Amino acid sequence: MLKHPMLKYINEEGPSGKRFPHLLCPGCGAGQVLNYTLHAVDDLINQTGAKKEAFVFISGVGCSSRLTSHYLNFDSAWTLHGRALPIATGVLLANPELKIIVFTGDGDAAAIGGNHFIHAFRRNINVTVICVNNGLYGMTGGQVAPTTPPFTSTPTTPYGNIEDAFDLCKLAEVAGASYISRWTTAHPIQTTKAIKKGITNKGASFIEILSQCPVHEHQTPVEMTKALKEITVSIKKSMDSNKIPVGELHFAPRPTWTERYESVIEKANEMIS
Amino acid sequence: MVETALKEKKCRGEFIKPGRHYLEGSEACVEGALLAGMKVYAGYPITPASEIMEHASRRLPQVGGRFIQMEDEISAVCALIGASWAGAKAMTATSSPGFSLMQEAISFSIMTETPLVIVDVQRPGPGQGYITTSQEDVMQARYGHHGEGPIIALAPSSVQDMFELTIEAFNLSEKWRTPVLIMADETVAHMREQLIVPELDTIEILGRRKPQDLNISPEAYLPYGHDIVPPMANFGEGYNINHVSLAHHADGSVGNYSLEVHRENIERLHQKIEGNVNEIARVESQFLDDCDHVLICYGSVARTGLEAVREVREVHGIKIGFIRLVTLWPFPEEKLRNLISMVKTIFVPEMNLGMIKHPITGALRDKCDQVIPMPEIGVLHHPDKLVNQILEVTTC
Repeated sequence: MLKHPMLKYINEEGPSGKRFPHLLCPGCGAGQVLNYTLHAVDDLINQTGAKKEAFVFISGVGCSSRLTSHYLNFDSAWTLHGRALPIATGVLLANPELKIIVFTGDGDAAAIGGNHFIHAFRRNINVTVICVNNGLYGMTGGQVAPTTPPFTSTPTTPYGNIEDAFDLCKLAEVAGASYISRWTTAHPIQTTKAIKKGITNKGASFIEILSQCPVHEHQTPVEMTKALKEITVSIKKSMDSNKIPVGELHFAPRPTWTERYESVIEKANEMIS
Repeated sequence: MVETALKEKKCRGEFIKPGRHYLEGSEACVEGALLAGMKVYAGYPITPASEIMEHASRRLPQVGGRFIQMEDEISAVCALIGASWAGAKAMTATSSPGFSLMQEAISFSIMTETPLVIVDVQRPGPGQGYITTSQEDVMQARYGHHGEGPIIALAPSSVQDMFELTIEAFNLSEKWRTPVLIMADETVAHMREQLIVPELDTIEILGRRKPQDLNISPEAYLPYGHDIVPPMANFGEGYNINHVSLAHHADGSVGNYSLEVHRENIERLHQKIEGNVNEIARVESQFLDDCDHVLICYGSVARTGLEAVREVREVHGIKIGFIRLVTLWPFPEEKLRNLISMVKTIFVPEMNLGMIKHPITGALRDKCDQVIPMPEIGVLHHPDKLVNQILEVTTC
């Protein structure tokens, strides 16, 4: 039987039994994001000689954070809601050579993890943050998120959402991320390239991937994928349309936290003599 | 294998030298941590614990470690967790309000069996409370985090203890693959007194047991299996370790899990600490032969408590013994029961309204006529006050 090429990075079973089928709902965009990410990692391993054991996947809590659970045949951690970035920060304090990929959702990154989100980017830690943005809390039942469009009706906004939504890419930029891209699950090639560039960038990279939740938005994945193409426009084509710009939004490399800490080590040791 | 990046070649800083020193408790704590192998400190400032953080920020880059000031106490412990997974020994220090914020990550560290050390320089609460000394977090240390998670908590009572118990905390943490708490108080953290550092090669330093040490291959490796204390692979070593806090099998899988799997895991986590209480927990005692009464205390209160016991014995001729709990959790119930045959009164001075009094009463209710709490809020007990209280009860 022909197997998906990325299954080489997936544990379909383990010592305690089968790990498939996975936990994601049919039509969920998170699986697509994992596929694009593994393609990017596979390319880096094959083309640049990056070592597989140097990759570490860390996530918080939520549907997209499930991507780092037991299926992944990499070093990985499925951590606390919103806290993937401070944990990634600690990993880099101990070993800056590791290549960390954080899977997060919009609620995980921008609500409970909002403070960690801005500080990780301000420090420019060497991490690639892949945010699967479906505009709602999927795992808990489709409640409103900081990315839900205004006036949307959800289980916790039965009379419509009165709050405005975050633009996560702008937030990441003002906080200090050195590479930022936005794509959608309907852009597999572009997303894979963006993730590769994000991992290659030495510093904090943020890749927002607009995604679909067919379960809570009561639409088919096909309709939603078409819509993702219709509501977005390439940043190269238009800056002033009403559509959501996608593409590479920001690239300004600067020293990472651990690179700057070298000067701390130098000063501390100069002062000894 | 990924090359570890904590290169020490550029670093010329030295460990504290053997011999006599005159140090603050906070400094002794950091010096002990460095000797124990601390390579990462992540923290957030708070009175009265900031001195530990400041000293760590000066010393770590001198000896090849890294220091970071995080955005809050939550992220501070999370950074320790990440550092520990990548193979570094890591520590933070905080005070009571910050300790409350750390409970989420403490619970997570217990479940993921992550070695790390947290110092709580306790101050009075609730709320922002006050900024003097306190022992009001001793129950939070055990029961503050959600879930049935056993913990190891030590109570230093001198600058010497701040040094030695910090080393012991790292050793316990690595040996039992669990977070360890140092329940200090403001008195002991800010106290300045003599510290005697032994010859460095006489100090026992433990590291974690790794699958490589047991010849376990990556294919056969179970991150939560093999033994009651599972061997721990570091990130970057090709073991594909998966850290998870949801109910999990020994291989880290959350597939096909059941309540039975969760119960078995919780039973192991419980047995790992509580089942080894007599190996983990320490108590110190004096004057217990033929005593009619006993005073049981911990932390800084052990200093004034011992002073009061001596005076009551020497000046007033009353047979009172002294017990100091070096370890608060796991609670050394059996050791306490073995120390005491039968006494009239157990006095329990604490800088709270009576917290450790409860497990003491639970352990010794059939071995005494009464347990008398001696509460104090925000200040160390004066020995005279303790003497008077003891005399009131014992001479009536």
